[in-house]
Amino acid sequence: MSLIRIEHVDKSYASRHGTISIMQDVSFTVKDSDFLAIVGPSGCGKSTLLRLIQGLDRPSAGRIYFQDRPVDRVCKKMAMVFQSFALYPWLTVSQNVAFGLEALGWPEERIGPQVERYVSVTGLDGFQEAFPRELSGGMRQRVGLARALAVEPAVLLMDEPFSALDPLTAENLREEVLQLWRDPQLPPDAVLLVSHNIEEAIELADRVIVLSRRPGHILAEVEVTLPRPRDRKSAAFYELTDRVYSLITAGGQSLATAPAPEGAGRSGEAL
Amino acid sequence: MAKDEGTRPVVPAHLPNCSRGSALAGRPGPPAGCRKLLRWPSARWAAGIYVAVPLIFGGSLAATTGLSLGGLAGYLPQASLDTAYSFLRMLAAYALSLGFSLAYGYYAATHRSGERVMIPILDILQSVPILGFFPFALLFFADATPGSWIGPNFASVFLIFTSMAWNMVFGVYESLKTLPADLKEAADTFGLGGSLRFRRVLFPATVNRLVYNSVLSWTAGWFFLVEAEIFSTGRSPLPGIGSYLSLAASQHHGEEFLAGLVVLVTLIAFLDFAVWRPLGHWAERFRYDQAPAGEGGELTPTRDTSGRFRRAASYVTRGVRTGVTRIRTPLVQLAAIGGRSGRRPSERRRSLTYYATLGAILVVGWLLLIAIVVGVFDALTGPISGPVRHLIFEVPTAMGVSVVRVVVAYLLCLAIALPLAIQFARSRRASRLGLPVIEVVASFPATALFPVIVFELIPYLSAEGAAVLMLMTGMMWYLFFNVLSGIRSLPPDLEEAARSYGLTGRRFLRRVLLPGIFPALVTGSITAFGGGWNTLIVAEYLSVGGGGTGQSLSVLGIGQLIDIATELGQPGNPLMAVALLTLVATVIAINELIWKPLYRRAVTQYRYD
Repeated sequence: MSLIRIEHVDKSYASRHGTISIMQDVSFTVKDSDFLAIVGPSGCGKSTLLRLIQGLDRPSAGRIYFQDRPVDRVCKKMAMVFQSFALYPWLTVSQNVAFGLEALGWPEERIGPQVERYVSVTGLDGFQEAFPRELSGGMRQRVGLARALAVEPAVLLMDEPFSALDPLTAENLREEVLQLWRDPQLPPDAVLLVSHNIEEAIELADRVIVLSRRPGHILAEVEVTLPRPRDRKSAAFYELTDRVYSLITAGGQSLATAPAPEGAGRSGEAL
Repeated sequence: MAKDEGTRPVVPAHLPNCSRGSALAGRPGPPAGCRKLLRWPSARWAAGIYVAVPLIFGGSLAATTGLSLGGLAGYLPQASLDTAYSFLRMLAAYALSLGFSLAYGYYAATHRSGERVMIPILDILQSVPILGFFPFALLFFADATPGSWIGPNFASVFLIFTSMAWNMVFGVYESLKTLPADLKEAADTFGLGGSLRFRRVLFPATVNRLVYNSVLSWTAGWFFLVEAEIFSTGRSPLPGIGSYLSLAASQHHGEEFLAGLVVLVTLIAFLDFAVWRPLGHWAERFRYDQAPAGEGGELTPTRDTSGRFRRAASYVTRGVRTGVTRIRTPLVQLAAIGGRSGRRPSERRRSLTYYATLGAILVVGWLLLIAIVVGVFDALTGPISGPVRHLIFEVPTAMGVSVVRVVVAYLLCLAIALPLAIQFARSRRASRLGLPVIEVVASFPATALFPVIVFELIPYLSAEGAAVLMLMTGMMWYLFFNVLSGIRSLPPDLEEAARSYGLTGRRFLRRVLLPGIFPALVTGSITAFGGGWNTLIVAEYLSVGGGGTGQSLSVLGIGQLIDIATELGQPGNPLMAVALLTLVATVIAINELIWKPLYRRAVTQYRYD
């Protein structure tokens, strides 16, 4: 079943120097219980794509469907996790987690238990009354995650969620996100992860969509069939990583974020 | 903001202890190196003298008038009652300001079309001496409710409102504009709208600045409250601490006067300790502009609530920055045409002839304006009476004299504020002991002492000296707190570098310190001049006590002419119109042509971040 359908989406902005095209003709689908990663060089419109999908922004052309209905306003069945956490410094951990539920108009007596549940799911027990500034980066992102999960979204949108964390913390949090996604008792059904970290994408996702540099278009959709838990040091993992690197470098001549690949890349055909 | 977090500077362990301490713990006070460098021997002496002189003077004044505690206590009930009246007026004006600033700031921050008009209007309103319009307000409200106590009260509340509102509006507007995009977006993703969005996101975002700006607003409010009450004593006295004080002073009742002061100081100190301190502490959690976890930086001594004034000063500074950088009023655009020569505006350095020509054009335009106003009044209400016409011809001279007076007062303030601020920045002990005192003194309305200046000090100072002294009380604190926060926010590594190159003493002052605090100095000057223009109207002409017993101070100046016009009533209207127009035009011209270009240069050239 297709949960989200993206059809021929273009996005461009008007600027002082004329129109800047962010992405061109992007089409793909997200299935139920998909873990999809979108990778690409910086500036290719990955984050913009995520915002278009939730309806925070409108595509310049093309359509986006959620459960076969066009997305024409902010879709509350999806929840976003931000790179910068986007926690409200004046709200406690509990209040931050309750944020989305209040927006949905939940009655107070139901909000309490729901917040408690997701606070403990994300390992924040004992920090309910803390303020975000008192927490470490990893703990803050847990709050961001709990806030998103608490509304029990069908789709979890993650915009570079681990980029602002130190490598060790990021690794732990990645595993926990994977566990949450695989737990049938817990939301979400599908996860959409935007990342510039190719290893991260391959470690987590079932499918990796590779975008070119601006204006972003899809270079390839890479199926990741490696068994979980995935070993970053295995030859298969390395080969896959190398392939995606090559795709991006070949498709986008110069690349700011990714290190240079070892061998010459293949051209960006669909795989 | 979050990106900063990843690259937060980590201070290597091998650096000397002093700089690590201040960078990591974020404690207030200068690092050790800074203190060593600021060894400027005369600063300590100057600071000592400035503190000692008023104390000695006040003491001897009290001794000569022969006061007794018993007599003082007898006046306390009346003083308390009058202070209560004044306090109610303040509360009313504050409530108005709060509502207005939230509504205006919110609308301007969220509506593009509104913003384009509303913010320039605000910028002009905050730079124009509102006190000049008090007579109008008084007439307007008094006419609306003839013979009633309501009119004058409304007028005074309105006046206090004008002294409180603008900086709060800027606070609301800026905190909404600088709210990180991701916090707004997070609210969008959950579809948070309407009142919930306001309650959970937008209002909390404004709380921190609202609290800190409120401290300033109350200080300004007291200043103007006393002025407003003194102002109106000429006609129908408003019961309040201001008229109480001026009446007591005019009758040379030292005990009565002191009783009023005691009550007023007590109330202000009480508000400070019981309201603003806890509120400031609570407001800390609403900050979103700080470095996350283990925040450093000298400007944000978070646990140190006594930094309120400095914080407030830095917020006002940001308000000025918005006014300068975001707003291009027609006059600035006009001025920019002359200097357009292909280079970037920041690199442009205008010649003296350019300023001279511009000044000449302005003067001509302004004389033309006066002529037009006179013509209009001649045509509409019949010929202006002889004496009034004569006074109108005095307006240009009066304006010039007033400008000189404000500049002199400004220079004197600078001579006091600079060494004092350096002393406070240099010595942790001085700042620990002295700053709380200075903050209480700064929040006390100097206007309450104006009657004393008029009645007791004129023999020593001459009328001119008394006028300048009063002006200084209205300008001093803006300068002092801005300079202090400028010195404190000087990056420690700049001081360290200067030290490693052996730059000390006067050379350090000239090469490092003064350029380093230049932006703060300019914003301090802008706000100080704003205060000066407002004080001008009472400082040049103060008639206290009323009736036959009154004594008055009157020196030639634009403020004097405005006051005379007020007293003349109906026939004085043309004079009032000309004088107000002149004052407003001059203030705006000085802001746009001198301060704003200077400020732009300060932020482009002397910035260290």
